[in-house]
Amino acid sequence: MAGKRFILNSSRSSKQGTLINVGKDSDEYRALTSSMTMAAEDMAEIGLAEGQMALIRTEFGESAFKCEAGKIPVGMIFVPYGPPTCQLMGGDTGGTGMPQSKGWEVTVTPLETAPSAENA
Amino acid sequence: MGGKVSCTLGEVKQRADFIVYWGGNPAECHPRHFTKYTLMQKSKFLPRGRKDRTMVLVDIRETKSAKASDIFLQVRPGKDFELITILRALIKDQNVSDEAIADTGLTREVLDDLVQRMKSAKFGCMFFGMGLSMTRGKHMNSAALLTLAAEMNAFTKFVAMPMRGHGNVTGADVMMRWQTGYPFGITFNRGYPRYNPGEFSTVDVLVRGDCDAAFIIGADPGGTMPQPAIDHLKRIPTIVLDPHVTHTSKLARVHITTAPQGIAAPGTAYRMDEVPLPLKPPLKSPYPTDEYVVRRINEAIMAKPFWLPDGSQPQMLTAQV
Repeated sequence: MAGKRFILNSSRSSKQGTLINVGKDSDEYRALTSSMTMAAEDMAEIGLAEGQMALIRTEFGESAFKCEAGKIPVGMIFVPYGPPTCQLMGGDTGGTGMPQSKGWEVTVTPLETAPSAENA
Repeated sequence: MGGKVSCTLGEVKQRADFIVYWGGNPAECHPRHFTKYTLMQKSKFLPRGRKDRTMVLVDIRETKSAKASDIFLQVRPGKDFELITILRALIKDQNVSDEAIADTGLTREVLDDLVQRMKSAKFGCMFFGMGLSMTRGKHMNSAALLTLAAEMNAFTKFVAMPMRGHGNVTGADVMMRWQTGYPFGITFNRGYPRYNPGEFSTVDVLVRGDCDAAFIIGADPGGTMPQPAIDHLKRIPTIVLDPHVTHTSKLARVHITTAPQGIAAPGTAYRMDEVPLPLKPPLKSPYPTDEYVVRRINEAIMAKPFWLPDGSQPQMLTAQV
């Protein structure tokens, strides 16, 4: 993986918890789990505009997210748990039974085109 | 390391004057925690409520919970274990180098102040979330924090408790512990329970492709597990019991809609402090309960003829007898 690396953390929010009751198929839930938040400085550095799609890559997979600026420490990215984050996760649990779901090293590539329907 | 020094949330509500949230964001994920148990409640021992309590938040970013805290400690990502180990040394007045402290992203003054506050508290409680247990170090981070809580009892009353997520996950752990002696990662393939996380835990079994069928009750691994595990669920016959259509339902061969627990189905749910609470459903549902469906499946399996010739038993059962 070339380029600047970020630390990606998946997390939950109260909005996500509420939307589970609306339905995981709802457009709002899909949009939420396909969004990521990062520092405005980081976005400027890699040429990513507010609302632009970006491809996040780990050593296990890749997924597209819509980028938003937020109060996040420089070098970090936060995304809500969901199907897009599953694609970034490796299957190794290190003998614990629990896959790592936080602190992944990732690269971010701005996308010019719209994401595929699966990740939308 | 080992063991958990804990208490009920009722004791926290009545007595805890020093609260630490570590790697958790209760303002978003447990929105009633502050108001019902930890911060806002007035009690016999803490008559002024919030004014009698101190809240510390330890996290890698300033979450919404930081606004509710008195002290926010922004630890460097992946340095939780190191910070807990430093705190374990500092409470015992052992030497810690400046470099080790700086590596955690905090200063000696801040940690000295924290240790002094912890020791002078009457009843401290540390709640830890997935920011501690699912990041690098995983169960070792949790074990370190539980050890810190145990060691703090040399100075004052201190407990620790995980911030459990989702409905009744504590109940699943408690029931498995009661029935088998182990909380999760259990196999019965020799006719008796064996425990080995990393080998018999769900993700590992799925990723290795060891199972040829899956029965999922009230969970959505299709939306939370690693992709290799999801891919295997797609390959094998997967049966889902859930009130909602989930990501797992879509990859399953069979989805059975069941009544939601506590809303239209009775039962018992375990609170995060492992206190069982009876559920009294206010509504009726046209769908069966999970218990009813599982019982029907059990009866159907029992009615089937045994899969080995008459008089023979599986080898593992013979070995056991």
